[in-house]
Amino acid sequence: MKKRVLTVDDSRTIRNMLLVTLNNAGFETIQAEDGVEGLEVLEDCNPDVIVTDINMPRLDGFGFIEGVRRNEKYRAIPILVLTTESDAEKKNRARQAGATGWIVKPFDPTKLIDAIERVTA
Amino acid sequence: MDMNEIKEIFFQECEEQLAELESGLLKLNDGDRDPETVNAVFRAVHSIKGGAGAFGLDDLVAFAHVFETTLDCVRSNKLEPTQDVLKVMLKSADVLADLTNAARDGGSVDESRSRGLVKELEALAHGEVPAPSAAVEAPVPKAAAPVVAVAPTDPSGFQPIPFSFDDFGGEDEPAAALPTYEVTFKPRAELFSKGNEASLLLRDLSRIGEMSIFCNTDDVPALHKMDPEGSYLHWVISIKTDKGEDGIRQVFEFAEWDCELDIKLQEDDAASAEADSELPMIPVPFDLSILDDGPAVAEADTSADVAAAVAAADTASNVMQMAGAAARGEKKESAATAAAAAANNAQAANNASAGQTIRVDLDRVDRLINLVGELVINQAMLSQSVIENDNNGTSSINMGLEELQQLTREIQDSVMAIRAQPVKPVFQRMARTVREIADITGKSVRLVTEGENTEVDKTVIDKLAEPLTHMIRNAVDHGLEMPEKRVALGKNPEGTVKLTAKHRSGRIVIELTDDGAGINREKVRQKAIANDLISADANLTDEEIDNLIFHAGFSTADKVSDLSGRGVGMDVVKRSIQALGGRISISSKPGQGSTFSMSLPLTLAVLDGMVVTVAGQTLVVPLTAIVETLQPEASSIHSFGATQRLISIRNSFCPLVDVGRILNFRAMQANPVEGVALLVESEGGGQRALMVDAIQGQRQVVIKSLEANYTHVPGIAAATILGDGRVALILDVDAVVAASRGQSLKQEMSLASVG
Amino acid sequence: MASKAGAQNVKLAAVLDLNEATTLQGTLQSLRGSDIVIDASAVERCGTQCIQVLLAGAKAWEEDKKTFTIGKVSDAFEKTTQLIGVNFEQLLGKEIRQ
Repeated sequence: MKKRVLTVDDSRTIRNMLLVTLNNAGFETIQAEDGVEGLEVLEDCNPDVIVTDINMPRLDGFGFIEGVRRNEKYRAIPILVLTTESDAEKKNRARQAGATGWIVKPFDPTKLIDAIERVTA
Repeated sequence: MDMNEIKEIFFQECEEQLAELESGLLKLNDGDRDPETVNAVFRAVHSIKGGAGAFGLDDLVAFAHVFETTLDCVRSNKLEPTQDVLKVMLKSADVLADLTNAARDGGSVDESRSRGLVKELEALAHGEVPAPSAAVEAPVPKAAAPVVAVAPTDPSGFQPIPFSFDDFGGEDEPAAALPTYEVTFKPRAELFSKGNEASLLLRDLSRIGEMSIFCNTDDVPALHKMDPEGSYLHWVISIKTDKGEDGIRQVFEFAEWDCELDIKLQEDDAASAEADSELPMIPVPFDLSILDDGPAVAEADTSADVAAAVAAADTASNVMQMAGAAARGEKKESAATAAAAAANNAQAANNASAGQTIRVDLDRVDRLINLVGELVINQAMLSQSVIENDNNGTSSINMGLEELQQLTREIQDSVMAIRAQPVKPVFQRMARTVREIADITGKSVRLVTEGENTEVDKTVIDKLAEPLTHMIRNAVDHGLEMPEKRVALGKNPEGTVKLTAKHRSGRIVIELTDDGAGINREKVRQKAIANDLISADANLTDEEIDNLIFHAGFSTADKVSDLSGRGVGMDVVKRSIQALGGRISISSKPGQGSTFSMSLPLTLAVLDGMVVTVAGQTLVVPLTAIVETLQPEASSIHSFGATQRLISIRNSFCPLVDVGRILNFRAMQANPVEGVALLVESEGGGQRALMVDAIQGQRQVVIKSLEANYTHVPGIAAATILGDGRVALILDVDAVVAASRGQSLKQEMSLASVG
Repeated sequence: MASKAGAQNVKLAAVLDLNEATTLQGTLQSLRGSDIVIDASAVERCGTQCIQVLLAGAKAWEEDKKTFTIGKVSDAFEKTTQLIGVNFEQLLGKEIRQ
């Protein structure tokens, strides 16, 4: 069985890039468009790792991460944050919310796969 | 999907984000202070920046970054979005749109403009309030152009953080020469609760050098007292690596806040030996196959390599994944099921908010529409032949056919609905048009839009932008007065242009209203006389005078302005609207403004028509044009002049138009009493009675372009195929009415149909 | 590695994550006083916190003078313990030698 990645991002461009990169790298990819959808999809897809954006409508990345960490069943899943904001404040907020790590945009396939490799067995 | 396709998606998304950006800024301009509005605006720019970064569109990234920074100040309440601030932002949105277009289509953007705005945005971000009204001059560029310089080198946002793996696999140095570090690693419970895992960190550490490890278990409490999610182990690691302390820290990048990490360079072998003797170190073999296939990942520096590596790793871990899934028992659902469930969920989620959408190639939709059109025709032909051959009244077949007809109708409606889109994007584009012309004319204008979500066929939308742009320019340039004059007239110095859309009896009606001076009828009249459009003694109603402005080359502006005087007149607007099967009219009140009203079909693919016979030919008259039908009586027909005839309807007279004669189907005028009159509404609002020989019935017909399949025929709008397989022509009512006024149908359509 | 007849067999789950640590602690608690054999043959992902519980278990069994044996182990279990420097065989040396 392939490793399953849940991606949460409101940008269609980034969603497509994630999809192509992850599929090429042999991952199974499930996608959600915002935090609310991400939490709903989570129940069904039981991912090995989650990659999420921060700025999203309805429920942003911080709220989404907190939601995952509050979930009895899925709280241990590693969560990587996609962010252009590598400054300490944003990272700190993401970490406080429970993020495992981050991937600094602009989007780079190698960085993405490396980061996923780092946090998954 | 390849990168080019994703890039195409990116540009599509940019368009949506730009529209979102603009509408958000306009809402803010109207005093909306909903944080979600600000967030949406921020997200739009952020999203463009994110995608642009991935495609290396540096100019776009740079500008978006500055814009985003300023918007972030608004988001965090550091900057009050005043009208002056928003003016800068709206201009920036325009430049962002231009940069996006330049990135897609090539070409460049006026650098001084973007550079000037970058300065303004940066000033705003630094808390400088813009000087009201005084336009900021584009500053002379300094040595380092800020636009290019800002983002890519911005250490806070764009410096990719290098991973230690990237530079792995350098020259093999003798191991003895490598420095040895002593690393003390003590994770806190939070490290685990955030999804990190000590064993994975140690795995990664083992990949950067040769290491020995000692695990201190002293703090592990008694079984019954321990918090199973606590953290009780800590490690002392001795590692020989050429990656330095930074390389080691890099491994713990994600974890450093949730652990105690101490890294010391061991000065000499003696110290190391001492440390070794103190702690029973277990050497960790430099075995990267631990846990998974590491080395491939470490060497990978292109995505393709990574793909291969991960695929390999995946194969290796297949067995364990399968075992894991089996153990979890109920979690065995296939990927497809999971994805489907996810999709279902998404659907459910979206029912609560915005509808879910898919993007489909327009060609596919059009092919479907065409096929459904054929289906409709085929169904009609089938019914007809059944009816013709059915003399024993097999009602079950008839009932089945009726159901088929209804289903076909519904399919057709549903398919047409696929092409329907809200007019919003076009309306939003007009905001920019208003801003630009307001700037150029020095007038102060507010654009109000209503009914932006009214839907109409995509083709109609696409073709609406140009005439609308022209009309709006016209309204601001010719309609609205200068602010001083407005004040003198007791009006608000800021003029209002209102754009509305609504559905009315199966058509979309778009109105453009300004609160300007209205049509100067005397001036229009004089000009029309001067241009020989009307005779000096012509007695025209106000409405007829107003409609003169749709004549070719008609312009009332004293001096031809930069904007609306490019030889493009309202006649061109009228022509484009007519080409869409639409009508346009104007009503104006002196001193209070004008309203242009356009009525357009919702779709260009089907038409509800009345099938009539004229001189043995079958014609279809668009139902929307017909006001009523009547059977003329001899007593109500009145001759007028040599060839003109009038029909009296109730208490008024209406010109009678012999369709057969106009279209040259017959040489002589038909006897009105033997035919039927269709009362139609024409352009200027006047009514005409179209004479046809007989009415066959009403039906929906699928429009087949005559131009595409044959050639343009004066007086005929298009063709269709009827149920019996015959081709019928669809009448261009306006052209026929215009022709009846004495203008030949042979003329250019636009001239002929001008009122 | 021979376990005494009548020793309780504890089969570890495939994924020994955060949630499993609590479960494992409960399982071990309920078996206090019996000789046990830990069957790690199905383990495919082995988290640090489960290893902590096993370490605490080994200590407790030592205090109880009962045998705590690691039986069959999977590759993943063996490699993870080796990587993080936990050696159950050494730890349980006494019991194993008994």
